[in-house]
Amino acid sequence: SAFLLHAQQNISLHGQIIDSKKVPVIGATITIAGTTNGTVSEADGSFRFSIKHALPVTLQVRAVGYKTQEVDVYENEAVTISLKDQSNTLDEVVVTALGITKEKKSLGYTVQALQNKDLENTKETNLLNNLTGKLAGVRITNSQGDMGSSRIVIRGETSIAGNNQPLFVVDGVPVDNSQLNSGGATRDFRNAIADLNPEDIESLNVLKGPNAAALYGSRAAHGVILITTKSGKGQKGLGITLTSGVTLANVATLPEYQNVFGQGSNGKFSYVDGKGGGVNDGVDESWGPKLDGRLIPQFFSNGVAVPFVAHPDNVKDFFETGVTLDNGISIAGSDKKYDFRLGVNNQRQKGTVPNSEIKKTNFSINSNYQLTKDIKIGATADYIVTNAPALPGGPSGGRAAGVMLQFLWFGRQVDINELKKNWNNNWNNSYYNNPYWNAYYNTTTQDKNRLIGDIHLEAKIADGLNFRFRTGTDYYNDRRKYTIKYGTSGTPYGSYAEDAYTVSENNTEAILQYIKKLNKDFSLDALAGFNLRNRSYANNYQKAPRLAVPDLYTLTNSRDALTSSNYFSRQRAYSGYASAQLAYKNFAYLNITGRNDWSSTLPSNNRSYFYPSVNGSVVLSDALKIKSKTLDFLKLRGGWSEVGNDADPYQLATVYNFQTAFNGNPIQTSSQKKLNADLKPETTRSVEFGLESSFWQNRLHLDFAYYNTNSFDQILEIKTTASSGYTSQLINAGKINNHGIELQVEGTPLQSRHFKWNVAVNYSSNKSKVKILDYAGQIQNYTIGSSNGVDVLASVGQAYGTLYGTAYLRDANGNIIVGANGLPKADPQNRVLGHYTPDWLGGITNTLTYKNLQLSFLIDANVGGKLYSGTNRTGNYTGVLKQTLPGRDAAHGGLSYYYPGNLSANGKKLLTGTSAPNGETIYDDGVIFKGVLADGTPNATVISAQEYYKASYNISEAYIYSSTFVKLREVKLTYNVGKRLIKKIGLQDASLTLTGRNLFFIYKAVPNIDPETALSTGNGQGLESLALPTTRNYSLNLNVKF
Amino acid sequence: CNSQLDEINKNPNATETPQAPYLLTSALKQGADLYWGSESNFNSSLLFVQHWAKIQYAEPDRYDVSNSSFTSLWNTGYSTLITDLNTILNSQDNQVNSNYKGIALTLRSWVFLLLTDAYGSIPYQEAGLKITPAYNTQKEVYTGLLADLTQAQSLLATANGSVSGDVVYSGNISKWKKLVNSLRLRIALRISDKEPDLAKQAAIAATGDAAGLLAGNSDTFQFVYASSPQQNPASAWFDTRDDYRISKTMVDKLYELSDPRLPVYAQLPSDPSVGKYVGGANGLSNSDANSQGFAKTSKPGTYFLAPQSPAVIFSYSEVLFARAEAVARGYISGDAEQLYKSAITASLNQFGITDATVIANYLSQPGVKYDATNFAKSIGIQKWIAFFGQGLDAFAEWRRLDYPVLTAGPATVLDGQIPSRFFYPGTEQSLNGVSYKAAISAQGKDLLTTKLWFDAK
Repeated sequence: SAFLLHAQQNISLHGQIIDSKKVPVIGATITIAGTTNGTVSEADGSFRFSIKHALPVTLQVRAVGYKTQEVDVYENEAVTISLKDQSNTLDEVVVTALGITKEKKSLGYTVQALQNKDLENTKETNLLNNLTGKLAGVRITNSQGDMGSSRIVIRGETSIAGNNQPLFVVDGVPVDNSQLNSGGATRDFRNAIADLNPEDIESLNVLKGPNAAALYGSRAAHGVILITTKSGKGQKGLGITLTSGVTLANVATLPEYQNVFGQGSNGKFSYVDGKGGGVNDGVDESWGPKLDGRLIPQFFSNGVAVPFVAHPDNVKDFFETGVTLDNGISIAGSDKKYDFRLGVNNQRQKGTVPNSEIKKTNFSINSNYQLTKDIKIGATADYIVTNAPALPGGPSGGRAAGVMLQFLWFGRQVDINELKKNWNNNWNNSYYNNPYWNAYYNTTTQDKNRLIGDIHLEAKIADGLNFRFRTGTDYYNDRRKYTIKYGTSGTPYGSYAEDAYTVSENNTEAILQYIKKLNKDFSLDALAGFNLRNRSYANNYQKAPRLAVPDLYTLTNSRDALTSSNYFSRQRAYSGYASAQLAYKNFAYLNITGRNDWSSTLPSNNRSYFYPSVNGSVVLSDALKIKSKTLDFLKLRGGWSEVGNDADPYQLATVYNFQTAFNGNPIQTSSQKKLNADLKPETTRSVEFGLESSFWQNRLHLDFAYYNTNSFDQILEIKTTASSGYTSQLINAGKINNHGIELQVEGTPLQSRHFKWNVAVNYSSNKSKVKILDYAGQIQNYTIGSSNGVDVLASVGQAYGTLYGTAYLRDANGNIIVGANGLPKADPQNRVLGHYTPDWLGGITNTLTYKNLQLSFLIDANVGGKLYSGTNRTGNYTGVLKQTLPGRDAAHGGLSYYYPGNLSANGKKLLTGTSAPNGETIYDDGVIFKGVLADGTPNATVISAQEYYKASYNISEAYIYSSTFVKLREVKLTYNVGKRLIKKIGLQDASLTLTGRNLFFIYKAVPNIDPETALSTGNGQGLESLALPTTRNYSLNLNVKF
Repeated sequence: CNSQLDEINKNPNATETPQAPYLLTSALKQGADLYWGSESNFNSSLLFVQHWAKIQYAEPDRYDVSNSSFTSLWNTGYSTLITDLNTILNSQDNQVNSNYKGIALTLRSWVFLLLTDAYGSIPYQEAGLKITPAYNTQKEVYTGLLADLTQAQSLLATANGSVSGDVVYSGNISKWKKLVNSLRLRIALRISDKEPDLAKQAAIAATGDAAGLLAGNSDTFQFVYASSPQQNPASAWFDTRDDYRISKTMVDKLYELSDPRLPVYAQLPSDPSVGKYVGGANGLSNSDANSQGFAKTSKPGTYFLAPQSPAVIFSYSEVLFARAEAVARGYISGDAEQLYKSAITASLNQFGITDATVIANYLSQPGVKYDATNFAKSIGIQKWIAFFGQGLDAFAEWRRLDYPVLTAGPATVLDGQIPSRFFYPGTEQSLNGVSYKAAISAQGKDLLTTKLWFDAK
């Protein structure tokens, strides 16, 4: 073919690759150094390929997990190349931007990789949760129980308003990780990356921040996570792997409830109809009578007075043990001309909330075929079918569907078994349904079909010159149905809604790569490429607000006009990019990249923008020849980059929206968001320095990074006072700085023939500061999120994520000022109550290996940062929490008091000893709020405990807590069946793993909740609001290959 | 390539072109929702004036509220209503006839009036024009609104062209002209204690205008709702919740006066053994509020809770009360007592009470009779009754006339005071801090108890 060079002679090089234990290494890449000419080793480690060079040549052998080895071949005879096992590889090969593998030592930035062994067998149903604590500088929060979404942020929030989560790329195909919601739905649906099956993943590489990700241009600002799936490369003949696992999940952090007082108010309760017919039976709070067995009619007793006793586990007993069954089979094979891997994995998860269930099946294929000697084609596909017949209620799914909302009001005497027995029984008819009614009748279903895949081609054009082409897609349909049954409290006629999404992103890229050893000292690795990106999004939501007849869930079964909305968007970007790496003597490297994007979402004169980066590294231990027995390796690295971000579609012209017509009259109203015809792209500039070193034959390995990132010209939808005409306006402004350090230390304190103890520590600390919002200086605060009157702000001069809200009114000495009524006063001036961003994050993994047995445990910590807890706020108000016991009666330290003349309405309460002057009723639930009166004298007014615990409901400061926690995240015990035994039973490999995750808190500051649960996956973090409890998981996994 | 990318970024979901009739329908519907809905009405002002009471979650009834409790009046008022009305006002003259502009200016004046009555100083001149608009004092706002309404009157004429999308007056321009004059009269009385000369001048202008004032209950400016999901907001609320009752203060007053409106304003308690109307007391602790019994207290009347119940915004009876007061103040000539009687009669008629004997008996009671020595008391009490459900205006007039005398409930948190205004939205502190600070330094602390300029006593 015209592409091929014709050489005078062909030499067939062959040999075998083995490891230090003489075990054949499969899948090693063998190339002529400085070229791409080469092959991959077979299952027995053998390789063979022909060259057109004259001998001698230098062979370079690279394999993930081993040191890269260079061997000079002088004679045309079989060579045996022994690779050094390298757990903390100095010459490690890593996947970098655009999927290009490079030697880690040549990079001027940090890349942290996780291998399959770090991910599989832990069986988190959300892939992101698998990463918690294992990566330096990466913060993951999961918002809702065992079926919810998770959020990942690398090196802090660099965008004030935009999405701060990294780009995910699977086998070169950018994939979507949105969390979609519309139509006022508040259920927490899983983010899209959770669709992937961890079992299919070969490795996961984290490009932290702009320096590593610069080649992704406008999508690089928040880092990139590159996922490489397993292939059949190097599998001799057929390899069949069976995996089977079972995971049990229990709710981990439930509120601590009090069990002394039951439902009611002012100590009184008697049930008639649950909505005010009896004594306080419409009250859904637990300020009622003592749970001392006194006889009171209750919801299940048909008016008969029955013992009023505590049911301490009435919330816990609602939750079930979640069971996840995972079963998968994969078949892999390869030959000289092809390799393939087919996999199918079925996961069936029964959640901890009754009736909740998700079924997911992944079908995956990864195949390559050598079309000619120089052209290889291939395809990958992951088809994911998700069917969730019922998802658990969200944080504010309303009283008709919420779970924890009800349980923060749940009467402490309520017998959950009576509710379970009969779903028409209900403890309170003013506001709630039987929780089982909610779980089984008021359901949300989800059906999702997703295809992620590509076809690709690699062609060798000339020696050192390669061409790659790839076109890939990520396409999914996501259909949800919401049903509320007839007769549901608050929705007496029921309702039915359908919500459908179609999301698609296609990327097509073509890349030319040129690798050339320029002379004895210098070599060049350069590429140039082009990418076309198309994304579209469609949503259609329709709701029958009130059903005509019960139990028929169709859109036409409606009493009213349907409410409906739809939205469609598309965007396109063209990108051209190039990079070059110049290497000097294998110890000094210079990397330069540039990318230009043209985006449809920007106005035509601001549409084109260029992003450059430069970075370099020097292996000082080689350059200065300071290698010793102590110091193996010392590398310095550094770089500068500029990346950015474009806008969302349709942000240039302000629009008018239509709402449901009124009696035949169309309704049109201004969008409350003023858009901007002159938008520019956002820019992020980042500097990064780092140092990597290793000591004592790699028994100790250190990696340190410092970065400083400035993001400006941000596309901000700033909240504006409505009196400006709009509640928000889109501006191009703002500057936010993030700087921080990351440290990874890995060491092997003990190593003997059979025993090894390995420790890996990571630590990271990020500091952010909002420098400017608008350039005119008029805007001092940008509202990121809000809940119950607490705003999360980007506030000029402050760290990102300021919690801002109502504080107690205090005097000059900091004492809380209390009114004449004994209740604290709120300061009319809102105050900064803290920041949600943590001071530092850390994780430590200990791995102990003894013969075939391996035990590892991971402890991680999040130190600093504040959160606002809606659970504590609500639970104090309702008196269900254990923390509301002090003061509630004499036994709990309550003061005694009486109302003169027994007139509670006159509000005057007097402290008393044992008797009242006129025989008034004496109460023993008196509390004095600690504070001073306006004149500075200490407050001495007695209020009831009920008033006391409700007093701060609207004072946000009272429910701000430290987010600090230390958690035993993961314990994993693996038994690898011995090679000899495996051979005897005819297997290639077998292992059994027992894993426990989220086991317990070693320390946490906030009561009653898991501080990791946040309100959403958006930027408005630090606001906890009646989240579903997180789960503690135990799993057993069997892995057999034959 | 550029034009292709431009084409891709053309928004297919909404239009960039506004249509005046559709904006008008929107302003009327959303204005009614705002005026009659929970946040500005039955969860705040209706509790302050003790028309309604909370029987559960009584915090707002105890004035235990936060500075995010009154944001919808501000946000909807400005960014929805005023912005949409400004869009009509800023339309090219060849696109809309001047009647659209006259109506838009009238409605915009009404919204500004609601805002200033509730908060005090508000952005007026710079509203919608700047990202951080300065606030104007109440005096500036009221004066500006009188001028705006004069201009609105001059824009309106039946001959100027027809108007569609008017779901209140069906394009009847003469009714709009009457509403304009009625609003001018309302404003004249708002400022009567502070700027009597200007008030008099405005009252004369309003009553002397050839277009006249609202002249019968068929002229009442009210938005009549349809069925779900476009039902009356109070009706929608009671579909799902049960935490409001008619106030004991109102029920007791209606009993005291043997007022025939009582069965309209209240329902009998659901427990038949009670057998009479029982209001919920205002300002109780949650437990005391609860203890009154859901089944033993009266909900607001079904007249107010049906899906199609109207949101009354300006009633004929209010015009008559205003004329009576303008006469009593000596601004205009007339028979104050007769106007007062007509106002009460109009209110009774409005609520379906038309029996002449019943009306005559009511009017002849000593407690109802017009007291010329204290017009504020007579008019204040009767206006308070007639305004039932119109929380924001009942609140403004109660503050101005100081009648009826209301007492804060026992568990209220303002040291025995009743609120005199709304808080500014808490977000004003973060979003328009400089203007906000300037406003409160002139007006007084951003407290519920700070008296507004028009509220002289």
